[in-house]
Amino acid sequence: MDTLFARLVVLESSAALILGLVLLWRRGVPAYVSAFTWQSIVLAATAATVGWFGHHGELYVVAALLVLVKGIAIPRLLGRMERRFATQRELAPYVNTATSLVVAGLLVLFGHAVMRPVVAASELPTRAAMPLAMGLVLVSLFVVVSRKKALTQVVGFLMLENGIALLALLGAYGVPLLVELGVFLDALMGFLVMQIFVYRIQETFETIDVDQLDRLRH
Amino acid sequence: MIFALLLLPGLASALLALVVRPYRAAVGGINAALSLVPVGAAVALWREVLAGRVPVAGPDDVLRADALSTLLAFCVSVVGALAAWLGPGLGDGWNGGQARRFRIFANLFTVTMLFAVTTDNVGFMWVAIEATTITSALLIPLHASKASVEASWKYILIGSVGIALAFAGTVLAYFDFSTLVGRDTAALSWVVLRDVAPALNPRVLELGFVFILIGYGTKAGVAPMHTWLPDAHSEAPAALSAMLSGVLLAVALYAIVRWQTVVRAAVGHGFAENVIGLLGVLSLAIGALSLVAQRNYKRLLAYSSIEHTGLICVGLGLGPLGVFASMLHLLNHSVAKSMMFLLAGRVLLRYRTAEIDGVTGLLRVMPWTGGLFAAGMLAVIGLPPFGMFVSEFALVRAGFAGDRSVTIALVLALLAVGFVGVLAHLNRMLYGPPPSAVSVGERGGWALVPLGACLAALVVLGLAVPPAVHDLLTRIVGIVTP
Repeated sequence: MDTLFARLVVLESSAALILGLVLLWRRGVPAYVSAFTWQSIVLAATAATVGWFGHHGELYVVAALLVLVKGIAIPRLLGRMERRFATQRELAPYVNTATSLVVAGLLVLFGHAVMRPVVAASELPTRAAMPLAMGLVLVSLFVVVSRKKALTQVVGFLMLENGIALLALLGAYGVPLLVELGVFLDALMGFLVMQIFVYRIQETFETIDVDQLDRLRH
Repeated sequence: MIFALLLLPGLASALLALVVRPYRAAVGGINAALSLVPVGAAVALWREVLAGRVPVAGPDDVLRADALSTLLAFCVSVVGALAAWLGPGLGDGWNGGQARRFRIFANLFTVTMLFAVTTDNVGFMWVAIEATTITSALLIPLHASKASVEASWKYILIGSVGIALAFAGTVLAYFDFSTLVGRDTAALSWVVLRDVAPALNPRVLELGFVFILIGYGTKAGVAPMHTWLPDAHSEAPAALSAMLSGVLLAVALYAIVRWQTVVRAAVGHGFAENVIGLLGVLSLAIGALSLVAQRNYKRLLAYSSIEHTGLICVGLGLGPLGVFASMLHLLNHSVAKSMMFLLAGRVLLRYRTAEIDGVTGLLRVMPWTGGLFAAGMLAVIGLPPFGMFVSEFALVRAGFAGDRSVTIALVLALLAVGFVGVLAHLNRMLYGPPPSAVSVGERGGWALVPLGACLAALVVLGLAVPPAVHDLLTRIVGIVTP
């Protein structure tokens, strides 16, 4: 029973991490949006898995919310933004694809190293997957700092949030439901505000390439 | 009851501004009047705390105000009131749409900060601090310009990522904790957390604290995560800059102090203090050295905020005396920096430029504003008889008492660099012939009264720390370093 549980969460976490890597080797925003959508659904599945094996009924609520907010609502809004900026692709990120993938590999290893004391201290059957979640957090962070398009940065940020949610699920079977709801509200509002700004950057700069945002230096 | 008076007036003002369209000056007037209620509530909390009580409210005592919360609640409500009285929407150059937006989001911003410092649940504290980013980011480009859009993008992106890392840290600290305490909402209560801390796994908590420090440190303007700060503080409208610099930094530092207490209880004195102290010195260095080369006076003030955040962090690493100095410095900084940004807004309105080179003869052009600006600048660089001299002096003493003379020597050297840099800029702004396009002369006006009161408060804090403040700070030291 526990071994099935452990294998399932490792499988799901690996899928989430690989979907995060899509941001590094694909160039088109539609690919990013579908990677994020699938990642959110995998995350919801993980919540349901943990809820089932860990006997935490409230995690089904979390799973449902994940599907609604991050699996449907946010991808739709992202898709609308994508159609508007369809011609603007991530052509020349600050770090090229090959180097990015090497860095991502190192970050995943680093995540493993960082999480060793946590894994050692934990007795949960999910502990083996925790380094993967930390890997996703670090890789998403790298996406945010190494990509130039505002839209890519937003998707990177959303994946960072997914990584942290995954970490919470694996390490403690999620945070208390009330706090979780607050986090959801913040995530949604934060995304909406970022969306406003992406449109505003487009209006004022006529591009969403943040490389152009260089008025404020020194 | 006290908590309702603290939190609800801001919500009511925001709601009022939301439903009344188009904007009317009466909304701003009601907002300004209501903004005084939380200040009264904070004073009431202060009295309760000095009487030895800890007011709590809500299910699971989710709202709780000890001495540390009270100090922050007081700073936030006072600066919130300053912004409500002097912000857009009370007969000035802003149009109705801008004033309405300001009134909605500035009030929500204040409420989220007040909630962040009065909730006992570290999960809700995180939710509230994340919400401060969202509510304030929309106000930075109140004047839509390329620079302000750029500044707000940096702010929301770096701020959100940082704060997400703080959540990762909270989650890491919660791992071990949830197995000890269980999984109900009270499991993230700070009081419970502190009490069980000695039983937590020290290595896990250390890792969590690194994330928390990076995360909340990003919002506090701790180097090297400070890069958004000079842009956001300099491009935001003056009233918002005052809130960002005066209290948002303090609220983020508050979150760090709460966690520092837990980590100390778990791993003993040393780890948290060393990391905070190290980043503090780094922030101080970056802030002070950047002051010298500034050409823009709002950015000058912003870098000075980084410098002072650094000082507060250094103090937090220096034991009980250091914590006392830090908290006094935090109070001083709230008063001084919100006053300075509001004054800078007045200067900007007259001279139409934020370049230091464009501002000459300030004392002739605007005798009142210029005088307050000069005095405030002297206060900010730590001259007597202003409050910051006392808190910096206390910090230096704490350093020598704790045998950290090398750190303190470095701190003093950096302060001297900042001192000289600011003084040179200030000198250029105050004297000389005014630019021909700028009209000379200034009528007093009621807006100068609250700003003058800030300066008076700084002088009072600089001559002798009032007993009520001293008692409150002593109680805070008791909480942070038991």
